[in-house]
Amino acid sequence: MTGAVSLQSNSDTECIFVFVEEAVVIKVENLKKRYGKTVALDGVSFEVGKAETFGLLGPNGAGKTTAIKLLCGLLKADGGTVTLDGRTDPTLIEVRMSLGMVPQTLAIYEELSARENLYFFGRMYGLKGRYLDKRVKNCLEIAGLGERSREKVSKYSGGMKRRLNMVCSLLHEPPLLLLDEPTVGVDPQSRNLIFETMETMKKQGRTIIYTTHYMEEAQRLCDRVAILDHGKIMDIDTVENLITKHGGPSHIEAVMEEKITEPEKFQKFIDGENIRFEETTVKFRTPKPMEALAGLNNSGMRFNSLKVQTANLEDVFLNLTGRRLRD
Amino acid sequence: MSKVIYLAIKDLKVLFSDKSNIFFVFGFPAIFALFFGTIFSGIGEEPSGMKVALVNLDKSDFSNSYISKLDSYDALEIVPVDHNQAIDGVRTGKFSAAVILKDGFGGDFETMFTGDNSAVEMALDPGRKMEGQYLQGLLARAMFEAMAKRFTDRDWMRKQVEDWRNEVADANDLDAADAKLFLGFFDAFHTLLKDVNDENFRMEFSGDMMSFATTDVSREQKGPVSSFQITFPQAIIWGILGCSVTFAISIVQERIKGTFERLRVGPIGRAHILGGKGLACFITCVCVVCFLFIGAKLIFKMPLRSLPLFVLAAACVILCFVGLMMFVCSLGRTEQSAAGAGWALFMIMAMLGGGMVPLLFMPSWLRPFSNISPVKWSIFALEGGIWRNLTFIEMLRPLAVLLTIGTAAFIFGVVMLTRQDK
Repeated sequence: MTGAVSLQSNSDTECIFVFVEEAVVIKVENLKKRYGKTVALDGVSFEVGKAETFGLLGPNGAGKTTAIKLLCGLLKADGGTVTLDGRTDPTLIEVRMSLGMVPQTLAIYEELSARENLYFFGRMYGLKGRYLDKRVKNCLEIAGLGERSREKVSKYSGGMKRRLNMVCSLLHEPPLLLLDEPTVGVDPQSRNLIFETMETMKKQGRTIIYTTHYMEEAQRLCDRVAILDHGKIMDIDTVENLITKHGGPSHIEAVMEEKITEPEKFQKFIDGENIRFEETTVKFRTPKPMEALAGLNNSGMRFNSLKVQTANLEDVFLNLTGRRLRD
Repeated sequence: MSKVIYLAIKDLKVLFSDKSNIFFVFGFPAIFALFFGTIFSGIGEEPSGMKVALVNLDKSDFSNSYISKLDSYDALEIVPVDHNQAIDGVRTGKFSAAVILKDGFGGDFETMFTGDNSAVEMALDPGRKMEGQYLQGLLARAMFEAMAKRFTDRDWMRKQVEDWRNEVADANDLDAADAKLFLGFFDAFHTLLKDVNDENFRMEFSGDMMSFATTDVSREQKGPVSSFQITFPQAIIWGILGCSVTFAISIVQERIKGTFERLRVGPIGRAHILGGKGLACFITCVCVVCFLFIGAKLIFKMPLRSLPLFVLAAACVILCFVGLMMFVCSLGRTEQSAAGAGWALFMIMAMLGGGMVPLLFMPSWLRPFSNISPVKWSIFALEGGIWRNLTFIEMLRPLAVLLTIGTAAFIFGVVMLTRQDK
């Protein structure tokens, strides 16, 4: 949970500093959903604060899309509650006006142009007149589709369609954004554009829930990440904390200029475990890579090359579930 | 309400962005009307050129006269052949039917009057029963005309009366009083045939044996005056069926692609979304009806009995099929399954309801089943305005049936969709 230090006064003379939690915008409690015999969500709970970017990281079939659909009221939960901005019914018009959902599928009309799509979805949110014109223009710029806005979407590349799919949800400037794997199957250029847009949205103070099975996306965009597998949340925390808690040690591989003739003497400079010597190379694991590197430096031997492989969310997922994200 | 209109406009844009949709919505029903209108343009007139094999085993004057009568009909093309050629010709489809005049066909008067079946044999192609029925009528007509011609032969008549008199005189089992009565009648008839002058004889005996009075009933015309009055409602039905399936598929497409979900996440209800689809379907159907109507009026000069009743009927038919559209889209979760289920359902409805061939041509046992088909009620309602000249009260029944079916199908479809989305 993100927080802030706030100055509060309880009298004219006394001031105290207290830590107050930022307003919880989304609260999910013990959410359950089944499809026949398949359990999609099994008692999922989390909270998302205002202006926070929260990631749901998990492999295909983990329950990410189901969670998003339950959050925006497309599905009815078998148990548990969803509270959005203090309201427990996501189908209320006021709640829906504050929601922008970017679905995993390309939910746009390929027979229409980008401009026609945007005008149509804008009107569905009650936008009109100059404001609608302005928003359409702005969204076309964000998506980088200004020059081809009058072409049929069916003629667009996959990346262009993805970008349009995203900006269709930004038209009404929702304070709460739900993005369900928005970068599936896109080129690196479009992916970067989507990331930059998300970062802009984040700076604007929007609350974002972002589902993905790409750990690098979660690492780059999310303040906190929930690791989801088989409908259950394995852990929730910041990326750094998750890596520290579940990532395991870093792997270091150092190639020296000369052959290591006295490994025992050299070993006392290494703060690590599972140390292996091969001719000029030493390999080991350590939870404190910076300290280990400083120790190697103190040995007096010169390096030819140094490779440090720190833990990431992939390792976190592997250690938590015993499986890789893309298994 | 404006959102429903925007939804409908979007659907119309999507529909007409695909040129093949334009053909199936407008072109196909027009072709249907043109094709079947041309085929049925012979309704009420004689079909021409029915090729009939004729085997004359009788070779009498009467049989020759009979054949020349048959040959004079435009509806028939008589081909004299032998027995084997006739049967083979019908079997191989070369002839529609074969007529065999057996030996003794023109032998006596009794044969002519009774139309002794054993003297005339007909071989029919089982797949062309309608033509066979028509041929039987023509054979009977030729028989009457040949007999009428024979009655103008005074000598033949006198000989025939003499033969009858002799038969009565020789009859042992006849009561004496009755025999006397018959003999007196035949003597008087014989004298009449002998003494009457030629002019009077022709006046009495050479007229048509069966004459038909013709009355101009154009003002009281109850049946269709143009074949396009029959095919026009069918074309409308096909156009509406096409629209209905097209929009049902478009709902399924939206559900698969995710646009339906995106709309549902927005500040509009499911009723708005489905209402928009329904409105777009309704508008498209109205366009189809207007297009066909203008074509029928301008090109085929199709008469129309009552424009207000036709408009009312068309509106109810469209509403019915908008409801059925909603039902169809709930039948499949993929475009293919919805299209398959939709067309299967509508084909059955069309077959039973006279949307493919007029109910008139259906076997009588099948006709009661047509009552369960909204196509039957649709065609009946449309015909009510086009040529049946129904009153408003008479129209209420088919219109009520259509609106009931449409409403029930719409509600059922919406309930099914809602369940599937949970």
